[in-house]
Amino acid sequence: MSATDTGGRVSRFGSAVAEGWTRERFGLLGAVALVLVAFAPPFQVYLFTDFLVVALFALGFNLLYGYTGLLSFGHGLFYAGGAYGIAIVLRDLGPVIADVVGAGISPLVTFVLGGVVGLVLVVLVAVPVGWLSVRLEEIYFALITLAFGMLGYSLIIQDPAGLTNGTDGVIVLLGTVDLGGFSLRIGGRRIYYAISAVTVVAAVYGVWRVVNSPFGTVCKAIRESPDRAAALGIDVGHHRWMTFIVSAAVVGIAGVLRAGLASVASPGLTHWSTSAIAVIATVIGGATYFYGPIVGAFIFLYIRWAISRFPALEAYWELFFGALLIAVVLFFKQGAVGGLLLLRDRLFGDGGGGGGGALDDGQASTAADDGAESGDDNVRADRGDNS
Amino acid sequence: MTTVLKTEDLRKQFGQLTAVDDVSIEIDDDKITSIIGPNGAGKTTFYNLLTGVLEPTSGSIWLRSGEGGELADVTDAEPHEVAQAGLSRSYQITNIFEGLTVRENVRVARISHDGSRLDFRSRATGDESVEADVEELLELTGLTDIADTPCDTLSHGEKRTVEIALALAIEPNVFLMDEPTAGMNPTEVTEIVSLIRDLDEDLDATFVVTEHNMDVVTDISDRIVVLAEGSILADGAPEDVLTDERVTEAYLGSDSV
Repeated sequence: MSATDTGGRVSRFGSAVAEGWTRERFGLLGAVALVLVAFAPPFQVYLFTDFLVVALFALGFNLLYGYTGLLSFGHGLFYAGGAYGIAIVLRDLGPVIADVVGAGISPLVTFVLGGVVGLVLVVLVAVPVGWLSVRLEEIYFALITLAFGMLGYSLIIQDPAGLTNGTDGVIVLLGTVDLGGFSLRIGGRRIYYAISAVTVVAAVYGVWRVVNSPFGTVCKAIRESPDRAAALGIDVGHHRWMTFIVSAAVVGIAGVLRAGLASVASPGLTHWSTSAIAVIATVIGGATYFYGPIVGAFIFLYIRWAISRFPALEAYWELFFGALLIAVVLFFKQGAVGGLLLLRDRLFGDGGGGGGGALDDGQASTAADDGAESGDDNVRADRGDNS
Repeated sequence: MTTVLKTEDLRKQFGQLTAVDDVSIEIDDDKITSIIGPNGAGKTTFYNLLTGVLEPTSGSIWLRSGEGGELADVTDAEPHEVAQAGLSRSYQITNIFEGLTVRENVRVARISHDGSRLDFRSRATGDESVEADVEELLELTGLTDIADTPCDTLSHGEKRTVEIALALAIEPNVFLMDEPTAGMNPTEVTEIVSLIRDLDEDLDATFVVTEHNMDVVTDISDRIVVLAEGSILADGAPEDVLTDERVTEAYLGSDSV
């Protein structure tokens, strides 16, 4: 085979990719992949579910960071809010609900109701916390959200109302739906994966619609220049507040799923080191791209898993993330997605335009700086909450 | 002739420094008014007071919103409230949404004007009346050809035009332009001056301009107000003001004239 032949093949492949890989085909491919994962070994199913939950956590966080320009170091508060909401409903209201709807279907009803309660709880917390936080910008915003997150951590541990069970957290027992012959264990790896996948895909689509709506367009304008936005008649403080609430709600959904996956709602979820996971995943993936946080979460969880397979290396695995973050910050300010798009443009020419949901690079460097500082410590609590 | 913007004894002090010293002025809708003065005369502070960015130490600001409206007190209004009331501005140092395309910039302004800012269910590009308004505005300001270019790759002159398009997109009653020709080359200056003239002809908005380039000032102004050390030194038709001895004196030692 001659060199020109190979060159021709590459360029034919390039144009096939450019022309044929429409959004619909990518969607179909993704759906097939999601179904196939369900047939993987149980641990892989668990790991992939973990990835989906962290991806939604980071995506919700990035609505406020990459799209509106506010770096929160306290989104763990809403992650925990969703988790404790469903955990407390399952523990305290499970028997009551079983009396009302019957024991067979009650685990499912309780699960759904718990999820709704978790979401409502998160919104109720986000309304005042957001109202106070959006008065500040930049490092001050990061600090006040950090403070709110740690305030939640103290409250959960002190447990003044007797609801959160202190440092042990609240055990989550999802139960089994039993409808005369047909039974379904909600907490089963594959069933729980299916529930998570459907929820996460729906939530991602929701966030995608939000960022492409008039609301999301105004968010981007505020990120670019808040005073210019105000001079065009936009109430910047109010818009930031609303974005804060939407962002918290998305993170709350991830928190609800986290509780069922980990079988416990633990105080570590609102520790700043959990909040930092969203920051790290977003920075690794690329804050300026819609799919950046999802790709970042994938890299984060699968590299951690890969390292954990080598016992000799496991003790030093935070070192690997430190090194990875430094590399991203120094050489790939656009994160992994930015790097991939650059690679695609090099290989196939600039055919595909900006790529799916590309933002701009305005926030990238700040994202990288903040992430680097917290890089080494972020993972400890996350490890605890997954095990 | 109607008064569209009025200040009464408007004053701004920063500690011991009086940046704007009891300025009372009435802006009429049938003229292009230029506000000139040496560096540090208080022009930008005056603009920041009018647009609600700074809070005045004392005095009041009145703005007429829309045709036949009443003058309303906007002294304590927030910047976005002043903008909603009909006062728009362009900045001396270009202030546009750099990371967005030209069309997206104008779309944001139209969304704001339309009141659909909190709509998170429809597509930003889905409102036909907004899109039609965006197209019309791009055409009016001659930006159609570069509509889909990200703003951070535009030339300085093009950015200045986007700045004007943004300010116009909210259909202001009064348009404050802060040095529209700042940093431009002679060709770009000629273009922007003819754009401002055309816009003044076509639109209902009343133009108020601060400018350092005296050729531009004499070219476009029907009335010139000279600020010096925070107060009004002279006010009148260009031929009267520019021959005024006190004005020449105020500029002595400055290379602006």
